[in-house]
Amino acid sequence: MTGTGARAVRTLRAAALALAALALVCATASCSVIPTGVRAGAVEDEGRGNPLDPPYARSIAMPPNDEWDPEKIVRGFLAAMASTGDPGRTIARQYLTDGFAGRWKPSGEVTIYQQDGIEADRPVPDGTAEVRVTLKGTVTATIKEDGLYRPSDGDLREPFTLVRDARKRWRIDAGPEGLLLSKADADRAYREANLYFLDSKRKSLVIDQVRLPVNPASTLAKATVERLLEGASGSLEGAVQTAFAQGTQLIDVTTENDHVVVNLTRRASPDDIAAMSAQLSWTLSEIVSGSRFEVRVNGESYFPGSSLVIDAQKQLGFDPWMTPPDVRPLYLQDGTLRQLGKENVGEPVAGEAGAKKGSRIRPAVSGHALKQVAALSGDRKSISVVSLVQDGQWQEWATGNELVPPSWDRYHSLWTVTHPAPGTSVVLRHYYDEVKREVKQFRVSAHDLDEVEVTALKVARDGVHVAVAVRDARGDEEVRIGTVVGEGAGSRIDNLWPVDRVDDKQEIKDLAWKDGKTLYVLTGKSELLEASLTGESKPLGFYAHIESITALDRALLAGAVDDEGNRQILYWDSAKWQPLVKDENGTTGFTEDGPAHPAFPLG
Amino acid sequence: MSPAKKRRRTPRQLARGARRRTRRAAGRLRRVFWRSLQLRVVTSTLVISIAVVAVLGVFLEQQISTAVLNDRERAATSEAQADRRAVLGFLTQPESEAAKQSGDAGKTLQSGEESPLGRVTGELANRAGSAGRYSVIIRNRRLPGAFFGTMNIDERSVTEKMREEVLTKEAGENGSWYSELYYKDRGGRPVPGLVIGTRLDTTSAPLVDDGYEIYHLVPLDKEEKTLTSVRQMLVVVGVGLVLLLAAIAFLVTRQVVTPVRLTRQAAERLAAGRLDERLKVRGEDDLARLAASFNEMAANLALKIHQLEELSQVQRQFVSDVSHELRTPLTTVRMAADLLYDAREDFDPMAARSAELMQNQLERFESMLADLLEISRYDAGAATLDVDSVDVRDVVLRAVADSEALAERHSTRFDLRLPGEPCMAEMDSRRVERILRNLLFNAIEHGEGRDIVVSVGADRDAVAVAVRDHGVGLKPGEENMVFDRFWRADPSRARTIGGTGLGLAISREDAILHGGWLQAWGSPGEGSQFRLSLPRTAGTELKGSPLPLVPPEVEMRRTWRGHMTPMLAPAAADGGRDAE
Repeated sequence: MTGTGARAVRTLRAAALALAALALVCATASCSVIPTGVRAGAVEDEGRGNPLDPPYARSIAMPPNDEWDPEKIVRGFLAAMASTGDPGRTIARQYLTDGFAGRWKPSGEVTIYQQDGIEADRPVPDGTAEVRVTLKGTVTATIKEDGLYRPSDGDLREPFTLVRDARKRWRIDAGPEGLLLSKADADRAYREANLYFLDSKRKSLVIDQVRLPVNPASTLAKATVERLLEGASGSLEGAVQTAFAQGTQLIDVTTENDHVVVNLTRRASPDDIAAMSAQLSWTLSEIVSGSRFEVRVNGESYFPGSSLVIDAQKQLGFDPWMTPPDVRPLYLQDGTLRQLGKENVGEPVAGEAGAKKGSRIRPAVSGHALKQVAALSGDRKSISVVSLVQDGQWQEWATGNELVPPSWDRYHSLWTVTHPAPGTSVVLRHYYDEVKREVKQFRVSAHDLDEVEVTALKVARDGVHVAVAVRDARGDEEVRIGTVVGEGAGSRIDNLWPVDRVDDKQEIKDLAWKDGKTLYVLTGKSELLEASLTGESKPLGFYAHIESITALDRALLAGAVDDEGNRQILYWDSAKWQPLVKDENGTTGFTEDGPAHPAFPLG
Repeated sequence: MSPAKKRRRTPRQLARGARRRTRRAAGRLRRVFWRSLQLRVVTSTLVISIAVVAVLGVFLEQQISTAVLNDRERAATSEAQADRRAVLGFLTQPESEAAKQSGDAGKTLQSGEESPLGRVTGELANRAGSAGRYSVIIRNRRLPGAFFGTMNIDERSVTEKMREEVLTKEAGENGSWYSELYYKDRGGRPVPGLVIGTRLDTTSAPLVDDGYEIYHLVPLDKEEKTLTSVRQMLVVVGVGLVLLLAAIAFLVTRQVVTPVRLTRQAAERLAAGRLDERLKVRGEDDLARLAASFNEMAANLALKIHQLEELSQVQRQFVSDVSHELRTPLTTVRMAADLLYDAREDFDPMAARSAELMQNQLERFESMLADLLEISRYDAGAATLDVDSVDVRDVVLRAVADSEALAERHSTRFDLRLPGEPCMAEMDSRRVERILRNLLFNAIEHGEGRDIVVSVGADRDAVAVAVRDHGVGLKPGEENMVFDRFWRADPSRARTIGGTGLGLAISREDAILHGGWLQAWGSPGEGSQFRLSLPRTAGTELKGSPLPLVPPEVEMRRTWRGHMTPMLAPAAADGGRDAE
């Protein structure tokens, strides 16, 4: 009896043991491979995209199909021209007869068109030897070899002559020289890049907007840095400098850990390292998703023993005007100069300007610490300058005939234009000599402006770009953007290029720089346009009563006068104009002798 | 000439030498392998574990790579499906307007606006993120300009073979290939990848051209890297595992083999007579118990041997004592018997005959006692040699002379074959003479009256005397038994000469005392031969004998017979072997 019981107990124990072992095996087998509730190790996010190249689609050239008719051959040729993966355009040449293929040169200026249609002369019956196909449309822009994009206009009628080759296939025997790209193809084949160069004092950054052809064998970052090293495009010729040593070449742009490595062939001079860092950082941070850059030379660290790592955040302070602080604008009210204070209530400025009534108009604020304000006299014959200090007195700097409203540049010189005779203009630049306590006036050489009437001139905050509104002998007005070269007596305005045609025969009332590349244009019909050298003008809005504008980065102010002569300052809230300045009662209505002629520093 | 010859010969010699060395090394290795249990166990463990690890490794690697690639393919296929839907959506959107305008879907492609195909490729590029994830190529052979790709994928990656396969398949049906992908920026270096190609299914949008081919190209370089590292890891782990197993086998067998080896050595020493050899007993496992058993066995063996030795000693002592003790009464009996024998003339013939018999048997008894005493002296180790340099021929002649009388009685003649020059050797001539006398008496006794040949031989190191009779001979196996004490070839036969039965035993002891050999040969019907071989210098080891043990005529006859009837050779081979 006890023996049986003991055996039963033993059997039971063995069974329990076996069960436990089985459970353990099952638990181990089904145990989760990925542990939950445990901190995951930080894994580098490489492979999720190349940070040096934003995703893009590209058109691939396809060889002609033997069965295509002349029209399709022309379409295929136009598409094959847009293929950037084939720099020699070898596939595009397959659409051409051998003779034309030898003559055709796909280099040089690229014409960008908006297509209206492709027309064959007549239906193509069998046996026809020659057919003419015409591409019709409008030219929208050109891209020069240095990447300079210029909007333009004009009709496009490009005839293609097609013949049958020995195998009875249609081939193009004559057609336009150079590359013709439709707008969509051009957008795919070229990418915009902002290159940052230095002004003559190497203190400010000047934007050069270029179009870079998409190169599948490279990355956008690499192509951009290569282009940066090549130097500025024609629009900034002679006006800017670069911190890179002469002949510096790019070896590669790669990513390593969390930063982008730029591998160059040469070092910059020690004084230029900060400027070079700013150039690289500003140029690259618009493209790549990193904020830390390292510069190496021939694969080695920049300094012996330490590397040159650029933090994009720190480079924001290289040129304070690139990221301007929150500045309160000045304006004129009732003949005195006021500054917009808290709660949008104006306060009179210190010194004479804030206390004594005057009849000055169109003030301009300088950028330096003295806070000088220049204003045009009511009869447009003189410009006076006052420092906004306790005992600041108006001081006459310039006199002339029909002076244009003054404009300060970042080097503390004051610009204006006088008109010695109708239809002629003289650009003047004034410096204040602190030692001799006198104003020096220089005539700025600007041959393109001598024979036209300049109605407005504004120097951009980068100190290089300058915008002028001109009226030619026929009365047509246009805006031109150029560059300031040299200083003092050697100053001149170069590279003047008209921006996209403002509405024909429009009067231009005022100009204001938003930043280094965008200009606001106020037309006579109080229409506001956003213009730049490399794009079409964009109408922003319309408000009939605006007489002057000023802008700083995202802030855009306008001085408006209504039909009764009441004035107010308006601000653009990116949809419409809103009144800005409150009076003592806190209302923002138009009033007689109300706030007018707002002005941000520079620009 | 001669250097050239030398040069020509040297490589061959070298090769031969190398081959010889290799063969020798292989032989050594084989010997070591078969002698070492440990080496065998480790080797077999190594071989088996290599096989197991290799099979497991290949299986694991295949499983892992299949899993990884399947995952990637599934993901890529679903992405491709989503992208196809997007493409079709984009293509159908402007379809109605385009169709209205020109009736040709291709015309929309080259209008001033962005073509839908270009737009959708841009969209797909944004979805894919970058070439690192996947690239897309879309084309339609029939429409000019309908050929787009994302990022830097090279159109070479889609081969003509893939295109043909896609075109022959139903629209919407996937074709997938593992192939090499080319990118424009990698210097033409291909990347392993997966290509999924389909013809766009346009059944739901009849106005869209049905010639669109969409290829998704998924680079698998990261997977390849992962799989390569997995393979490397498997190899490293496998090699480590095999080495570990070999090390474990080595350690385990060492634990077993070392005690066994020690036991073997101890057994060898024990066998060599070192009875005090014992093993160290450590622990309580089987090996410890083996050692303990061995020790017990050795102790028991030693005890038994000691007991037997003691017993033997007691017996010898007893024989010696009895012999001594018998001599005193025997002397008295002898004196009395001598008196009786001398006065036998006066007795009646019966009594006279009894006296004679008693006298004879007393003499035999005396010589037997003397032999017993002599042999007990040998047993006690008390026998000493009185070495002197003598001519063996003289000793032989003296022994023959002593045996002449007996030989005459048996009408036996001696045939002496002595060398011409003296055969000097260091020996105790008294003992050697006794040996020879014993051999001659033995030959006379068993010679059946036939001639007895006595030959003497000598060489540089040794001298030998052979006594040959032509009597009944010896049966196989009796060659050694003849030297046993009181051994008799035929127990029923009476001793005719009155030998004590100890003569040959004593002779053997004498020969051994000289460092010589006393050996017998015999064959039924052919007689027998006894050979005494002695070193010329006392104390040196004997390496061979100048005379053959088997008589030359017998040997010759055998060889001849062996040639004639090889079948009989094994039967006749017995005893023919010389002890040399």
